[in-house]
Amino acid sequence: MFEAYLIHLAILIGIYLIIALALQLSIGFTGQFNQGIIAFFAIGAYTSALLTLNGFPFLLGIMMAGIISMIFGFILAIPTNKLKGDYLALATLGFSFVVYAVLLNWVELTRGPLGLPGIPKPEILGFVFKDNLLFLILTVVIAVITYFVMWRITKSQFGKVLEAVRDDELMAKILGKNTERMKMYSLGISAFFAGVAGSLYASYITFIDPSSFTFLQIIPLLLIIIIGGLASLRGTVIATIIIILLPEPMRFIGFPSSMIGPMRQIIYAVILLIILIYLPKGLMGKIKLK
Amino acid sequence: MSIILQLFFNGLIAGAIYALVAAGFSLIYSTNKFVHFAHGSIIAFSAYVTYWLFSVIGLDFTLAVVLTICFSALFGVAIHYLVYFPLRKRDASPLILLTASVALLIFFESLILLLFGADVKTIGLIKVEKGMEIFGAIITPLQVVIVIVSFALLFSLWFLMKKTKIGKAMRAVADNKDVAEICGISSNKIFAWSFAIGSVIAGIAGILVAIEQNLEPTMGTNLMIKGFTGAIIGGVGSVPGAILGAFLLGFAENFGIWFLPSGYKDAIAFVILFVFLLFRPQGILGIKKQGEKQ
Repeated sequence: MFEAYLIHLAILIGIYLIIALALQLSIGFTGQFNQGIIAFFAIGAYTSALLTLNGFPFLLGIMMAGIISMIFGFILAIPTNKLKGDYLALATLGFSFVVYAVLLNWVELTRGPLGLPGIPKPEILGFVFKDNLLFLILTVVIAVITYFVMWRITKSQFGKVLEAVRDDELMAKILGKNTERMKMYSLGISAFFAGVAGSLYASYITFIDPSSFTFLQIIPLLLIIIIGGLASLRGTVIATIIIILLPEPMRFIGFPSSMIGPMRQIIYAVILLIILIYLPKGLMGKIKLK
Repeated sequence: MSIILQLFFNGLIAGAIYALVAAGFSLIYSTNKFVHFAHGSIIAFSAYVTYWLFSVIGLDFTLAVVLTICFSALFGVAIHYLVYFPLRKRDASPLILLTASVALLIFFESLILLLFGADVKTIGLIKVEKGMEIFGAIITPLQVVIVIVSFALLFSLWFLMKKTKIGKAMRAVADNKDVAEICGISSNKIFAWSFAIGSVIAGIAGILVAIEQNLEPTMGTNLMIKGFTGAIIGGVGSVPGAILGAFLLGFAENFGIWFLPSGYKDAIAFVILFVFLLFRPQGILGIKKQGEKQ
């Protein structure tokens, strides 16, 4: 019983890690304060759920989840590329409102507030990941791939250009870099991995509805990347584990389950405020939040 | 014809509430220069405080309203001093202040959920009355009161900003903080004042919504998004612009459901918000200042 609970937590950590790494690429490495990551997570979850529910294989579902999210990332990048600072944050936040409203109201496709139940567990070449332990292995493999890809990106020439865009976009332009295109790629890659995480989430929980994708969900993610420290991949991993495990002891103290949800949000919000005020660099950050 | 009139009334009532939210929000934005999303939690908390004082404790309604208004002013100023002020002291960018305000909004929404529960509450001050019929369109007396209170408040705000010393000082800080400080205006004091006044307006909006509709923990976030959209449409740094934008949004939503299923009412607001943020972030009346970054 306890083992099953630990496996559940480990799967959640894996899924959150993928999406937090994606957000880290956007905010930490490119300096684009993207608050719309939840929208890509939602697009990925719905794409994959709708495909697998209609009999398509899981591999196609998860790939399409990434690709469709990435396409939306590119589309969002076109108008938002010129925006900076809080306007960019607001426009991406606005994007997540739009996606949420569409999920809620496009009833023919998404069944609106009723959600999509009975999403099949992943099946790769006839092998079904029915057991949670097997699902954990799948999640870990994908999380490790994500980490590796992010690590390669940040060490590559492309990654250095992204950091240049973050630190001094004008200078990067003077040096002949097409910064607009770089920001577009960064948002697209970030959206791709958020979509993949969405696909994993949908097939793990087997039920999705729009309420899983409200903009409130951005707080734990922002907390992870700020605590871990901007532009620190290792910090992101540690912070994800801390943040997911932190509210868990509440279950054992004996809070009623209806209180745990709001309590968790309160804990996250308070920690975020404390970090913003007193610890602007996070735990392992290289860059101070300004 | 009566449908058009009915939609007009609905738009006017919605706009009257949104305008109060947008006016307080943009007053705070214009002096403080950052997006204060936690404005929504002041609305929701005021609604719940009125509910608690009137329906749970059983105070006289007028007394409950007066206490709520005092509470909302203190609440706004407390948020300013406890969270935004220390952040400003360490030179946080508007982006960090925005993030902090989103955290505050979620904090208070969850707090309401813990204190009052997720179920919908009603104040039940006025029994459901049959509305008045004007050329086939129906409007309840309470809705008439809402529109009148809203217009009266917006007029007082205009008077305050144009004619009183504190209002002029606020406009000076909004226009150019450094020059205002050279002239001996304490900008820190003005920041706190704009939080107090903006929060009082938000508190009254909360009370009006509480009497007319139901109370839900998410009401603050929902109204904040509407008020914020209104402010962006009209020009976020300008209080008259924000009011104009809020009324436009109220009408757009209500006339929009003529063509679209009514579930899309919220989507209309989001799409308008998104389009304005992308293509005209300074809003209809807003003027982009020289050298100001987008």
